[in-house]
Amino acid sequence: MTSASELISALAMNPAVILIVGASLGALIPNGYAAMRRPLMLVFVGVAAMQLYRLGLGEYGRLGFFGEPAMLLRIDPLARLFAIAFLIAAALNLVYGWRLRDRMEDFATLAYPAAALGGVLAGDLVTLFVWWEIAAVASVFLIWAPGSRAGFLAGMRYLTIQIFSGVLLLAGIVLVYRETGSLAFGDIGLRDEAGAIKASGLLMLLAFGIKAAFPLLHNWVQDAYPKASFAGTIVLSVFTTKLAVASLARAFPGTGELIFIGAVMTIFPIFFALIENDLKKVLCYSINNQVGFMVIGIGFGTAASINGAVGYAFSNIIFESLLFMAVGAAAFRTGTSKATELGGLYRTMPLTMIFCLVGALSISAFPGFAGFATKGLLIDAAGEAHAFWIWLIMLFASAGVLEHAGIKIPYFTFFAHDSGKKPKEAPPEMLLAMGVSAALCIGIGVHPAPLYALTPYPAALADYHPYAPYHVVEQLQLLLWAVLAFAVLILVKWYPAEVPSTNLDTDWFFRVPGRGVLSWATAATRAVWNLSWRLFSERLLGAIGRIYSVHGPEGALARSWPTGYMALATAIVLGVALIIAFSA
Amino acid sequence: MEDDHADDAAGAGSRHVGSLGRIVLGVLVAAAIISGALGFFPAFRREDPHFAAEGFGAFFAVYGFLAFMFIVLVGQHLRKLVGRKETYYDERE
Repeated sequence: MTSASELISALAMNPAVILIVGASLGALIPNGYAAMRRPLMLVFVGVAAMQLYRLGLGEYGRLGFFGEPAMLLRIDPLARLFAIAFLIAAALNLVYGWRLRDRMEDFATLAYPAAALGGVLAGDLVTLFVWWEIAAVASVFLIWAPGSRAGFLAGMRYLTIQIFSGVLLLAGIVLVYRETGSLAFGDIGLRDEAGAIKASGLLMLLAFGIKAAFPLLHNWVQDAYPKASFAGTIVLSVFTTKLAVASLARAFPGTGELIFIGAVMTIFPIFFALIENDLKKVLCYSINNQVGFMVIGIGFGTAASINGAVGYAFSNIIFESLLFMAVGAAAFRTGTSKATELGGLYRTMPLTMIFCLVGALSISAFPGFAGFATKGLLIDAAGEAHAFWIWLIMLFASAGVLEHAGIKIPYFTFFAHDSGKKPKEAPPEMLLAMGVSAALCIGIGVHPAPLYALTPYPAALADYHPYAPYHVVEQLQLLLWAVLAFAVLILVKWYPAEVPSTNLDTDWFFRVPGRGVLSWATAATRAVWNLSWRLFSERLLGAIGRIYSVHGPEGALARSWPTGYMALATAIVLGVALIIAFSA
Repeated sequence: MEDDHADDAAGAGSRHVGSLGRIVLGVLVAAAIISGALGFFPAFRREDPHFAAEGFGAFFAVYGFLAFMFIVLVGQHLRKLVGRKETYYDERE
């Protein structure tokens, strides 16, 4: 059993715990000194980063709980890659929302990344579960922070879904332990040696799938994320789905089902993003699409495809955040993120526009930008596996990414029709966060070697040359001709106009009929209760009165008994116990 | 649903394609043609293609163009199926 000092020592060395301490100390700062919160939290991000670097690869925080070994901290190449990305994102998010003075949102802005970091660094399943749940609870405060009724309801739905994911995870952990006798967090797999689906694997996959926003389980992203503040949405966009991707890469590499799930994920959001008017929601659909590419890579399960999946996740964290930041800056200045109300902002927000274009070029995987360096690995994985239809779907989805994230976001925010709005350029701290993100996008794109070196299997990339002439030409053909198609559609006026609307998605099932069923169930329960009370209240009250007359203060059993009776009763009980013991 | 900006996106073409727009369009067309043409040179082709489709030098260009067209022209009809007025959920919650 672990002593308290060992536990404290194990916790103190964990970068995630360092962030939690930073978030808690920041939250304790009185409102009068609220400007000190984010600088303090940023210091803690730096300390956590130094601790990650100082520790290096290895397993730490080995403890024993109730006879079972636990490993609170495991820094292997997979975990390290996500940890670095999470720390970069946490720092940039703090800078972006520098002028926020909301205690709850400030706390969640660091506590939530801390939980996600703890999850990717977890060496055992129980530790993963604990961080999994902390992430769910901490993140909902970002959705509730603006204080609107719509945000509160969305937060409740979000929390319900996230907690359900945790329940499935816990059930899966119990079954994994029963099957293997171990709580180690490693390759779990969906099928057993005979090829049958394991209940443990299925539960774990569903738990991860909810957080990764698998098809039909995806809509909590679009429902909840846009309801957060301009800065909160960006924080949310990074961590939950990527924690799930990291977990899938660890537990389900080479699970063939993921290839098809990922393929669906890359396709369907494209069409919803096309008709969506709220650009924050467009980016939420983009998250689904992007995670789909990663899920496909994990499904193929080769060293190169796993590298591609996690490397793409790293890049995606940077460029997807950058796009959210640009749209967030426009929303911060204009009060809206709707395409019908934006447009023409390039005149007054030129720097934000440039940063947005860098994000757009990156997510579209143009050569020279972050997405290009790793997306090729994923598409090549389909080629290597001779999975022709998956390969075609990935190319198709790449054109779709270009449409909604590469073109629609910058076009309708900064160009298109003149909205008449003349907002000021984004504040300096937002520009700084976007500028650093943009620099990272270009840096990774131009010189991807350091990112490749951080992947789990760098040796598998020794012969991979993203800037091989054929690779550049293939990608340029795909993207430039897709842009040309956009130009043609605009010129012939076939590109659909944006329309203010609400588009139904899977959340409709629990927001409309689900709500109706819940209301009916509540009314039915109330009616049954009232009927039961009328029928049985007299008998029940009579029974209560009789029990009270015996056991109450004036009842027979409340009297003090003589010592002789007590000795006799004890002797009888003892005698019965002896008879049972001898006869057993 | 009211179509507030029926000609915003589509009409943007004629409004914004000024001299700068024409230059950008010209560069785009030239770059697209060059990238398409390069695909026919062996130096810019994969030595060991995975699929027969890659044997056609402009495969990615044609596929990218058609995929984008399909996404936009077919995808917009999804709105008829799932589109509701903006206050749809506000009225029900």
